Amino acid sequence: MTKGVNALAAARILLLSAAAVVVAFPLLWVAIASLKSPAQLNDPGLILFLPNLENWARVLEAGILNAAGRSAFVATVTVAFSVVAGSMGAYAISAYKAGGSATRFGILAAQVLPPAVLVFPFLTMAYALNINNTYVPIIFAHLSFVLPVITWFLIGFFDAVPRSLEEQARVDGFSRFAAFRLVVLPQVLPGIGAAAIFGFTLSWNDMFYGLILAPPRETILPVAISAFNTFRGVELGAMSAAIIIAVVPVVIASFFIQRRLVQGISGGAVKF
Amino acid sequence: MTRFRWGMLAPVLAATGVAVGFPLAYAFYLSLTDYKLTSRGAPDFVGLENYLFVLSDARMWNAFGNTATYVAVAVTVQTVLGLAIALALQKQQWARDVTRAMLLAPMFITPIAVGLTFRFLLNDQLGAIPAVLRSIGISYDFFGPSNALLTLSFIDVWQWTPFMVLLLLAGLESIPRQPLEAARVDGASAWYAFRRVVLPLLTPVLTVAVLLRSLDALKVFEYVYATTRGGPGTETETIQFFTYQTGIQFFRLGEASAVAFVLLAIVLTFIVILFRRLQRSAAR
Amino acid sequence: MSTRSRALLSSVALTAALTLTISGCAGSGPTEDPVSSGLGDIPTDTEGTVRILMESVPDTDIVTELVGSFNETYPGIEVEIESLAFDQMRDKLIASFQSSDPAYDLIVVDNPWMDDFVDAGFLEPLDARIDSTTDYAPEDFFEPLVDITDVDGVRYGVPFYNYALGYLYRTDIYDEAGLEVPETLDELVSNVQALTTSDRTGIAMQPQRGYKIFEEWANWLFAAGGSIYDESGAPTLDTPEAAAALEAYIESFTTAAPENSSNWAFDEAFRSVSSGESASMISYNWNLPGLNDPEGASGDLAGSFALAPMPGGKQVLGSWSWAIPVNSGNSDAAWAFSSWITSSAVDIERVIAGGAAIRESTLSNASVLESGFGEDYYDAVIAILSDAAPLSQGLGGEEMIQAVGTELSEAVAGTKTVEQALSDAQAAVERIQR
Repeated sequence: MTKGVNALAAARILLLSAAAVVVAFPLLWVAIASLKSPAQLNDPGLILFLPNLENWARVLEAGILNAAGRSAFVATVTVAFSVVAGSMGAYAISAYKAGGSATRFGILAAQVLPPAVLVFPFLTMAYALNINNTYVPIIFAHLSFVLPVITWFLIGFFDAVPRSLEEQARVDGFSRFAAFRLVVLPQVLPGIGAAAIFGFTLSWNDMFYGLILAPPRETILPVAISAFNTFRGVELGAMSAAIIIAVVPVVIASFFIQRRLVQGISGGAVKF
Repeated sequence: MTRFRWGMLAPVLAATGVAVGFPLAYAFYLSLTDYKLTSRGAPDFVGLENYLFVLSDARMWNAFGNTATYVAVAVTVQTVLGLAIALALQKQQWARDVTRAMLLAPMFITPIAVGLTFRFLLNDQLGAIPAVLRSIGISYDFFGPSNALLTLSFIDVWQWTPFMVLLLLAGLESIPRQPLEAARVDGASAWYAFRRVVLPLLTPVLTVAVLLRSLDALKVFEYVYATTRGGPGTETETIQFFTYQTGIQFFRLGEASAVAFVLLAIVLTFIVILFRRLQRSAAR
Repeated sequence: MSTRSRALLSSVALTAALTLTISGCAGSGPTEDPVSSGLGDIPTDTEGTVRILMESVPDTDIVTELVGSFNETYPGIEVEIESLAFDQMRDKLIASFQSSDPAYDLIVVDNPWMDDFVDAGFLEPLDARIDSTTDYAPEDFFEPLVDITDVDGVRYGVPFYNYALGYLYRTDIYDEAGLEVPETLDELVSNVQALTTSDRTGIAMQPQRGYKIFEEWANWLFAAGGSIYDESGAPTLDTPEAAAALEAYIESFTTAAPENSSNWAFDEAFRSVSSGESASMISYNWNLPGLNDPEGASGDLAGSFALAPMPGGKQVLGSWSWAIPVNSGNSDAAWAFSSWITSSAVDIERVIAGGAAIRESTLSNASVLESGFGEDYYDAVIAILSDAAPLSQGLGGEEMIQAVGTELSEAVAGTKTVEQALSDAQAAVERIQR
């Protein structure tokens, strides 16, 4: 029995170590590449060398932090709206079975549409309403794939909240909305946190809508990173620095968030 | 009661109407016209002509097939791997937070950056991985004929297995202890306990994870764009890439819209069938 | 009808109404034929802003540096340059045409799009302006570049920079092997094979599907005596010369190109050459200074590269042109800038800074020749530009290039025979450019 357990433990450690290596390897490679000069980049085996901070200087000068800020802004607004509207809607769908079960899956179908096709309708809308120099079009475009996912996700969480809690609140004299806000909502807060993180990631990673719909000369992060893929070649060093800048804050944040994330999702016992 | 219900639904309905409904409707309208991005004035209505053309276009079906293969491979591997890692993480005693944070990192990198990174990481002369492989005598063309689609699937696995790990770990932690204890008391082996107790209880989460991830994987574009541009030949031409080229590079947006709706119809059908099957098994 | 159904119905109706209203704006680009003020000499006290969308290439950087100098002549014109990578730039450009509100006042147009944009009425005809600008000397532009701006006898652009291809090679390796620069297709193949050793290959090729492979292979096609189009404009891709060229290309790829390089594009090939792992590559003529730059990717190898015309003397050419969109906010100011930057004096400055020339007089100018990139380089460029042709002619340029590029990729991958690939390419071009 002990031998079986030890074998499993060994397998577990092996798997996790392998996973850690597989994840870390490309990231380390990128980090190292960001410190190499153009000539040094030609040599993959070069690990010990005098680091060169030129790439970092270039990238910071090119305004990558501003691009990251804009991405964060768009993502935050998108997620904030999605969480508010989505939790209200998800509650209604869960509590009143509004729209029937077909809605629950139909919501996901919106995820399938290629941005290449939807971007021009958004653009036309933006020009027609003369808002193409604002962040409104890109936020709406991001809402198109963040809002459904967050709503859908939250339906499962609301399903897990016992009706009795709410009924008790109503008996105690709370209005329907107050019952929702003060009794039901706190129960799904971890779930909302998890959904918010997912939504943020989806918005943060979008390149296509950001390219066409962002206000002129105000690029968002993925577009800024892909700008290093130029006609004169991929500027590997600078791009590596940009990638590290894009990744590190999020990884640090996820260190603090991951526990909540897991708790949040498991608390909702995601159902369909 | 009804006013409250509609009041709660109003924001999400309104936002969905504007953000999803309108572009969808407009794109549908375009799919019924001969609209080109280089058109002058309003486009002509051509009815179902675009749809007929698209449905009989071998290139489109090739793109669809490539995408289906990509999704099948990537999501299967991610799910199996994700489950294994989640199981391991659940039992892990030390350095939990650090391991988990690090393992989640790939999810948060914008896909175009992941694509470009792997393009160079797997480059025969510049990349570290071929250098390592060469030292043990293996020469492999990662983006070559017959290999490219598989390579792209594995890039997807690298980036999105953490997503699976996240969901499955959460699912595992929400499983009640009781049935497992009972099984152990009855002398069941670890494998038996896993297969007969854990897996069935995990099915809802597994379904959600696979569904969400599959729908996302269907939209693969950035990896292709960053690496192979659809080649060699048409091997890695995915449906998104095909739509992008048709609609935006070749200006034929009406036709591209038709492709998008054909895709939507196929996926919706699939979802409905899946949903019916799950409902039936849940009822059982 | 229940409340739910009623609400659903009304929201559907609302969306439909909204859609139809705004769909009236579909294709809301220009509906009349574009006209031009025809003004050539723009007064130096003109005021305005010129917003330009450009591709982020070395030549754009050089233009940006010259803006200050422009403002000495035209202090009232503010120039704002937005610079993006190729695909992104194209996507934004197309998007900008959809609006009746000016998004950019001056643009650069790549040669495959020229005909399509003109056909769509996006560009202002420039004949009147060109002919009435004093001391402009448009006959000084290289002929292939002017041909590209000419659609049905009217000029819609002036050249910005050329990207003609040439053969970039290591002079020391060639000398060591006792070889001369190849002058025929067979010599090219045998040379690169001879130069392939255990730790270096003869040529770094770029067989990535689509634009890259077609751009590279077309040079082989010309070297074999073939052509992409005939005089009447019909495609001629399914010819014995094309088959010979494709076979030679595949042979070089399998015997003299780096291993596992079937997806290589410019980047990989450039790095392979600059790190010394390949002896040569076919690429844009203005990459030579980059290769010979001691601070660049070549490191110690800087200085040992040279440029030569392709075997047979004819090569592929691409060209970007300045053009004024019909929805430009200030087309006179836009012409002021574009005519200034393409004038003889400024072209000399551009080329000295490392830019790609557009005027014949520039490449025989004394100060250019002694400026440091070497007389040989400029001689090679003159030879290259004297006989160069673009990949596409006519409408549907981009689609045609992608279609041929896909077929070529199939041939190199082995999924189609050379004959099949070429005949499919021919059929595709005929269909696309009907």
